[in-house]
Amino acid sequence: MNNNNNTWEIGGKTLNSRLLIGSALYPNPANMEEAIKISEAQIVTVSLRRQSAGDNNNNGKAGNSFWNIIKSLNINVLPNTAGCHSAKEAITTAQMAREVFGTNWIKLEVIGDQYNLQPDPFETVKAAEILIKEGFEVFPYTTDDLVVAKRLADVGCNILMPWGSMIGSGKGLMNPDNLTAIRKQFPKLKLIVDAGIGKPSHATKAMELGYDGVLLNSAIALAGDPVKMANAFKYAITAGRLGYEAGVMQQREFASPSTPVIGTPFWHQFK
Amino acid sequence: MITISVNGEIKEVKEGLNVKELIVALNYTTQGFAVAVNTTFVAIKSYETTIIENGDTIDILTPVQGG
Repeated sequence: MNNNNNTWEIGGKTLNSRLLIGSALYPNPANMEEAIKISEAQIVTVSLRRQSAGDNNNNGKAGNSFWNIIKSLNINVLPNTAGCHSAKEAITTAQMAREVFGTNWIKLEVIGDQYNLQPDPFETVKAAEILIKEGFEVFPYTTDDLVVAKRLADVGCNILMPWGSMIGSGKGLMNPDNLTAIRKQFPKLKLIVDAGIGKPSHATKAMELGYDGVLLNSAIALAGDPVKMANAFKYAITAGRLGYEAGVMQQREFASPSTPVIGTPFWHQFK
Repeated sequence: MITISVNGEIKEVKEGLNVKELIVALNYTTQGFAVAVNTTFVAIKSYETTIIENGDTIDILTPVQGG
């Protein structure tokens, strides 16, 4: 699939795929593994959680079966700080993730509202600044607010991940104009639409806006057939990127026939 | 004995344990997880110099699925 030789770079890695795929919510681990494989994604998001009481009987290996599957895929791992509500919590989680997963990449999520899981811009910027100083490559989950994007860029983020819409909503791109403004303002930053994608066409649209990639989870994992949907997103993202690179035609306010008019049989003019 | 919280569960452990000794006492392996004490990360290299105190809150996190 990725045979158009269209590589790109993010976080010091050269990749073919522009799909960042989540590892949660699949019907079962085998389904997750197959979906990730067929998607050809080269970045998978993961997380950290407490071992629940009783897991000690498993000799501390509660998460090992999942982690062994992810390791066997041999792709880049992007740990997240999901569930954190302060910069302090997110920084600690990032530090723990760096040790467990052996990567300085961190998907920074600091949630500011439990209803819509909107990121807290103030705590996100604060955490990003500290984590970058500690050597992390920060992938900040943010809204489509241009000023917040500026603040994140000011503290050294090379990557921005504005939401399409609320996490897990599947509503697509709520404010494509805002996303376009961020793209225009930051032509050199890597921009990923993260969250809210529901259909392959949403991902295509994000790519047509000139975004460098799309991060999604629920749209694949909660599909009727996650493996088939993972395949669909692979094509959708490639199509959107190729469309962006090809240059979309200018919209026109009038109809214009594509078939030559000269030589039209039975020609007549509307009155 | 001292009383601590491990992943939200109250436990009594021997006084004076460091983190390395604590995770052995709790029957954790030494790989595939990370530790925080009172919401501050404790790196592996600091396990032996970090002493668990009465009332400490310990978080031991392992990889899980994430989006």
